[in-house]
This record gives sequence, C-alpha cells and structure tokens, in this order.
Amino acid sequence: MTTLKNWQELALGGVILEAGSAAKYETGSWRTWKPITNREHCIHCLKCWEFCPEDAIKLEDGRDALGNVRKLVKEVEYFHCKGCGLCVRECPVNKEGKVQALEFVRDEV
Amino acid sequence: MTTLTTGKPKIVPITGAGACAQAMRQINPDVVAAFPITPSTQIVEDFSTFVANGLVDTEFVTVESEHSAMSACIGASGAGGRVMTATSSAGMAYMWELLYVAASMRQPVLMSLVNRALTGPINIHCDHSDSMGARDSGWIQLYSENNQEAYDNLVMAARIAEHEDVRLPLMVCQDGFIISHSIQTMQLEDDKAVKAFVGPHKPYHPVLDTDHPVTWGALDLQDYYIEHKRGQEQGMRNALRVIQEVSADFAKTFGRSYGLFEEYLLDDAEIVLVAIGSVAGEIKEVIDELRTKGEKVGLLKIRSFRPFPYAEIAQALLRSKIVTVLDRSASFGAHGPLFTEISTAVYGYTSNRPLILGHTYGLGGRELTMRHIEHVIAESRICLDKGEIGDRQGMWLNVRGDKS
Repeated sequence: MTTLKNWQELALGGVILEAGSAAKYETGSWRTWKPITNREHCIHCLKCWEFCPEDAIKLEDGRDALGNVRKLVKEVEYFHCKGCGLCVRECPVNKEGKVQALEFVRDEV
Repeated sequence: MTTLTTGKPKIVPITGAGACAQAMRQINPDVVAAFPITPSTQIVEDFSTFVANGLVDTEFVTVESEHSAMSACIGASGAGGRVMTATSSAGMAYMWELLYVAASMRQPVLMSLVNRALTGPINIHCDHSDSMGARDSGWIQLYSENNQEAYDNLVMAARIAEHEDVRLPLMVCQDGFIISHSIQTMQLEDDKAVKAFVGPHKPYHPVLDTDHPVTWGALDLQDYYIEHKRGQEQGMRNALRVIQEVSADFAKTFGRSYGLFEEYLLDDAEIVLVAIGSVAGEIKEVIDELRTKGEKVGLLKIRSFRPFPYAEIAQALLRSKIVTVLDRSASFGAHGPLFTEISTAVYGYTSNRPLILGHTYGLGGRELTMRHIEHVIAESRICLDKGEIGDRQGMWLNVRGDKS
C-alpha cells in the first residue's frame, strides 16, 4: 500500500512527472473474465500480443520449427489484463474453431 | 498606428477591442487560436493583421470553432507557450468543457472576452451572462469599466495568470459594443515598456521538453481528484494577493492604480451601489450629481469577480446602511450572481447588517440611463428610511410591464 500524498505535495494540474508510471496501475482489478493460454495449441503468431491494449501478453525467447530465434507467447500477465477479450477474439486458432489456443473463462474472485 | 516605439506613452482614440488587440501585439504571445465572433471580432481581425504584417512572432491558428480554439490554446500552453484568445457569448459557451480543462490543468491561457448576451432570442449586445455562467470554471475574471481598463487588465493578465503561485487561465472582460466598439481616448503604453513589464514566459513541465517526459490530462479518480481540485482552489486564493502585487507594480510602472475593486466615495456612504463594467461610469456621474444635493451615496465597482474578495469587500461596506447590487445577468429562479456574492461578503464576513437590495438590468444591451440610476438610488433611500426592502427585492430594471 503506497502512502497517498497531501494536496500541497502534488505537481500542479495533475501532471505526471514519472515516465511510464501507468504500469503501476492495476487494471487487472477491472477483470470479470480472464483469458488463459493453451500453449499446446498456440501457433505463436503474436496476434494476441499485437492487439492487447494493456501489454499484458508476455513473450519469451524461443525458436521456430527451423530453429531460428524468435519470440514466443509465454503467458498472460494478470496485474494488467483487464479481461477485454480482444486476444481471445483475434486468435486465429480460435477462429478456426477446432481447438482454443486462448480460452476465455469467468474470473473467480 | 501599428507600433509604438517612441519610448513614451501615447494618447490615442481607439475602441476597446482595438485596444485589446494592441495589448496582444505588445505582449506578442507564442500562439493565438481564435474564431471571430461579434462583438470580439475586431480583436481577432486586428491581431491577424499584425501577424500578416510581421509585427508579432505569433503562430496564429485559424480554427473551425471555439471548441477547437480553446483546445488549441490548451495544447499550445501545455507545450510551453504563452497563449491568448478572444471570444464572446456563444463562442465562449462553445468553449465550455475546455474552460474547465484549461483551469484544472493549470494552463494560464489568456482570454480577451467581450461580454455579450447568450442566445436566445439571438442578441449581439452586452450583458454579462456569458462570463457569469463561467464563474465556476476556474478562470480568473477581471472586469473593465472602459477601454483603458480593458487594455491595462490585459497587460497585467500574463503576470497574474502565469505567477507560480497561481497558474490559472484568466479572462479580461469588457462590455460588448459599449466598450468594444466605442472609441475613447486612452493611454497606450510604449511597446518596449509593456514587453518589459510582462516579462518572459516560464513554462511549467511543458510537453515539448522531451528530455523530461511528462503526462498531462491523465485519468484522476477518487484517490487524487479532490486533492488536485484543492490545489486549484489554492491557486485562486493566491490570485487575490498576486492581482494586488501585479497591480501595484503596474501603478509604479505606468501610473494607473487598480485594486481588487474600486471604491468611489464609499467613506461616508450610507447608500452603496455595487456594479460591474461600463455602467460604473454613469453611476459615478449620478453620484457626483447627488452628492451636491447632500445624498450620501457611493459605488463599489468590481474588478476581480474570480477570485471574489469577500473579506476585503465586507470591510469596504462596513459603514454602508443599504447595499444595492446591480446584476447584468440573470440566474433564472434565483438572484443574480453579484447579489449572492455581495450578500455572502457582507453577512458572512462582518457583523454589519445593512439592507441588501438586488436588481437585474441591461440584458441584451438594454440601456440603463442616468435617470434609471437616480431612480434606483431614490428607491434605495426610501427602503433605508423605512428600514425594509419590501417588494422591491429582485426587481428587474427598465423592463416594460414592470414598475421599477
């Protein structure tokens, strides 16, 4: 729990002086549904990473089938994932309809 | 006359709008974004000529609406510039949501507002409905009685608004047509003297300072919003002091002194009229006349309506026995905004208990002649002698169908 500041200590007009401080804000608390990655079905096209508005799809270093170095989908980071479901909707594996690389399930509180 | 570089002030015949355009030329702001609207048009028109003729270094942004004008002003101010605009009536109404943004983001945008009635029915003439409606938007409001005051207020505006203890937008108000379009002789100061008085602009965490990236206009919810608003309120409270400091320096530099309000023969006045704007000229004339007949009458003319100097006004009205307030705007179903502020000042800040009488006048440019003012003072005397206001409270003046 951070200590909240008094009005006298604040910069004027609500200006934020620290770059990138939005990362400290837990948008994950807004979530009612959550995406879950099924790595066995994921083709690592990175569409979910591209569409995620909160940068909550985390990647890791890996290799493709030919052994070339590339980024792979690792997991969803739930501190920032607000459960909008864009990743689930844009996933081409999901669109094909046979299996689900990203499942969207009710988030139990 | 396009410049004034003789090193001396000059007496010139000029309209109020023209005078404000000259002040803007002398201030030479970084950015002006404006959309012409009657009766403020001449300000924008003259200033765009100065831009076209290379007399200023200003980036003049021609926008498609007042909403965009104020948006551009806020952006340019946030980028680090000294920014000005001018508007009237529906033009400022169209800026509405941005007025609050400018104030709460503490951007010291300067506005030359020419007061005009709000529609409808459509009317282009003077009343104070536009600026009075914006009194809660967080802008400092300075009102002017004549061309000279409109010019002087604008020359002082930047130093008040941009002061580090204030950092708030400021509008200098003048009466549409009555001041804006009437030619009066007034003293225009030398370009260099004005420039030296106004001084350089000091930006506050500007977004164009890319070495120090900042975020303006972020979401602000239950945990901090009220603290930011409290800081904004403090800026307004500090403005009471800063207006007086800058005015004192102005008096030292240019010889004309202004306070938060003007007291005209208040010392022994039993009847005090309170008013804003050009009508003060007529009131003073009537007071001079009645004083020769022994009537103890005076005027308190508001200069700073936001911040409102409650304690100072209460002191100035300490010896009054009846205070008659003239509002040039209506708050439908309620008394005028000046009446409620004066009542608060008198009854909230001292134990003096004068009678307080409120009138509305002059909507849409309806004249208030010296005869009307004499009548108001005579009626105030009757109320004072009777010791009660009776059914005159809230009466509108010079309206056909009402006896006033």
